[in-house]
Amino acid sequence: MIMPLARFPKTAATLLVVLCAALGTGDREAVRPTKRVDRHTLRQALRFRVERPPAVRRAASYASDRVLVRFRPGIDPEYADGLLRSYGFPAVRRIAAIDAYSVRTARGVSVTETLAMLRRNGDIELARPDYRTRLADIPNDTFFGSYQYNLRNRGIILDISPEIQPQTTAGADIKATPAWDAATGDPDTIIAIVDTGVDMTHPELVGKMLSTGRDFVNEDMDATDDHWHGTHVAGTAAADTNNATGIAGVARDCRILPVKVADANGDGFYSWIIDGIIWAADQGADVINLSLGGDFDDPFLEEACQYAHDQGAVVVAAAGNDGIGQVLYPAAYDDCVLAVAASDYNDAIADFSNFGPELDVAAPGVWILGPAPQWYVGEENLPYLFASGTSSATPHVAGMAALIKSAKPGLSVDDIMKIIRYTADDINRATDPGLDDHAGYGRINMERALVPFILK
Amino acid sequence: MRDPRSRMRGSLGLGAGILILAAGLAAAEPKIKPLAVGLSYENLSRTVVWKGDPDSSRIKANLVSARADLGFGKGIVLSLNAGLALSDFEDLTFDDLPISLQYGGSALKGLLVGAEVVAPLHRFSDFELSGTGRILAAFGMSKTWPLEGFAVEGEAEGTSNWMEAAVGPRISYLFFGRFVPYIEISARWLRASFKMTETLDDLTGGQTKRVSGDLSFSAALGASARVSDRIAVEAKAGILPFAGGVDSLVSVGILYKF
Repeated sequence: MIMPLARFPKTAATLLVVLCAALGTGDREAVRPTKRVDRHTLRQALRFRVERPPAVRRAASYASDRVLVRFRPGIDPEYADGLLRSYGFPAVRRIAAIDAYSVRTARGVSVTETLAMLRRNGDIELARPDYRTRLADIPNDTFFGSYQYNLRNRGIILDISPEIQPQTTAGADIKATPAWDAATGDPDTIIAIVDTGVDMTHPELVGKMLSTGRDFVNEDMDATDDHWHGTHVAGTAAADTNNATGIAGVARDCRILPVKVADANGDGFYSWIIDGIIWAADQGADVINLSLGGDFDDPFLEEACQYAHDQGAVVVAAAGNDGIGQVLYPAAYDDCVLAVAASDYNDAIADFSNFGPELDVAAPGVWILGPAPQWYVGEENLPYLFASGTSSATPHVAGMAALIKSAKPGLSVDDIMKIIRYTADDINRATDPGLDDHAGYGRINMERALVPFILK
Repeated sequence: MRDPRSRMRGSLGLGAGILILAAGLAAAEPKIKPLAVGLSYENLSRTVVWKGDPDSSRIKANLVSARADLGFGKGIVLSLNAGLALSDFEDLTFDDLPISLQYGGSALKGLLVGAEVVAPLHRFSDFELSGTGRILAAFGMSKTWPLEGFAVEGEAEGTSNWMEAAVGPRISYLFFGRFVPYIEISARWLRASFKMTETLDDLTGGQTKRVSGDLSFSAALGASARVSDRIAVEAKAGILPFAGGVDSLVSVGILYKF
């Protein structure tokens, strides 16, 4: 149950603070003969017909049938109203608070002509076009401004608990808000969360699920999360956004396909992951998020990733949280998987983040607020928790890949991977300029990838 | 509702007919010196919807050209011009490229060539009805832009071409003798293309935007003034209205008549 917002400041301290070191703990050396799982048929994704707006000529950035007018001081409102109506304007509305009028132009008369006509009248002080506005696409999710530095960082103090209140650096984020002006995702674009499952009843996720998914641990068609990890990851990638509740997700309008390949302890086997990747690819997932990994190179695992890549899925995986120079598998499969390191609220690479030449990009992965099952956090707490790790960084990249795929469905998987790499911010250029082993190309920048570059 | 293309064909056909008719109906005494040369400047804007775009964008052009007017019998004048076109494709966005690009920079240079015919058709009292026809083409040179701020080196390269054909009647007022004001209505057909390629390390893409035939109508007021026996000055200003706005055209020219 979600607690009333007013109570949140008091209860914030009680939010479960989890430093996630779950990666690579259970599946190291865990080997199980790979087996082929019977194919199950899922309900097909609903097809949405995307209507293109009709091609219309558009003048400059103002309304084509309205202008704003102010009369000189001392002009009687009744006279002013009558004067405007004498021009033949079909609608005249007074905005008393600023002593102005909104006027609908006469049929067949352009805004330019109307303004010229009005400006010739000595009683009129000001006649202006009714300029268009643009939504500053800041979602209204409760915690967006105060906790989600990862999406938009304005240099806040991150009030995690009385003891943990780091000062963040403005701009150390993935530039989500300007990117959302260009793309918020398509419901037909599917992100498979191959993890511990997903709490499909969570308010942030209930409306975002493609299906109940597939559970390769218990071998059924219900990928409900009995841990918390997958729910948190899914929320970061694509939580319900602008719903006046909780958090915003990166791929706001994309949907989630849950695939359970790790058990209630967060442990799994390569075979489960292999099955999960192949199954997700066969279901038409556009992006596969793997916030998990193991220490051992395995040709079956690599082939599964290559299969998904060839099926048209962007595969994104976590580098690992051991702070060592070895990127986990499958993240280390350079040709077909994007390997993700974790950065923090100051755009520094997290000290726990594994490194190596296989790294592609970094994304925020320290104190990331995301959804968690209510049963896990307890009824007295809000169903959210903070987590750190490359697990938390990875769904940022998965969400970004989904947004690119939504905006440009014709792009190849390789092109999407290149866009994510080449648009990154080189956050550690002072010490490691260019492509390096700690941040790859840098921390992802959604604005640069999705907002048109202006040719000057 | 008629197809715009068929309307365009009708308009152009009507214009061509007017010009052919002019040969037979023009005044017998030529009032134009057989040869004149000069310079012209023209500024025009045209709001168009590029194929596949949901919204319109504007083509703005500044045209500077050398001009030669050839006078023929029956008052028919053929003007040929060649020069420089500076074309600005305001807010044109290339969304199909891997990284979307939006044109927001300085004008693209190009070669301008054009021809215009004015043929008198009928004179009544101090008025004269003429037919006009004009074709103008700008062949853009390619321009490259560095793509800065990315993790790898990159550049974009663009080339644009456009062509406009216009026909319509002109009514001149001859009362003042050396100063001849006129009003001109034209149907204007525009075809344009803009090819953009993008390279970011091994990430490449290309997109060609097209306007395959946009029809618009203009109304213009102009005047020709003979400053002396050999020097004439011409000016014209007009509008191209469309739903929600208006485009404009302005031109000036000076001619030396041999």
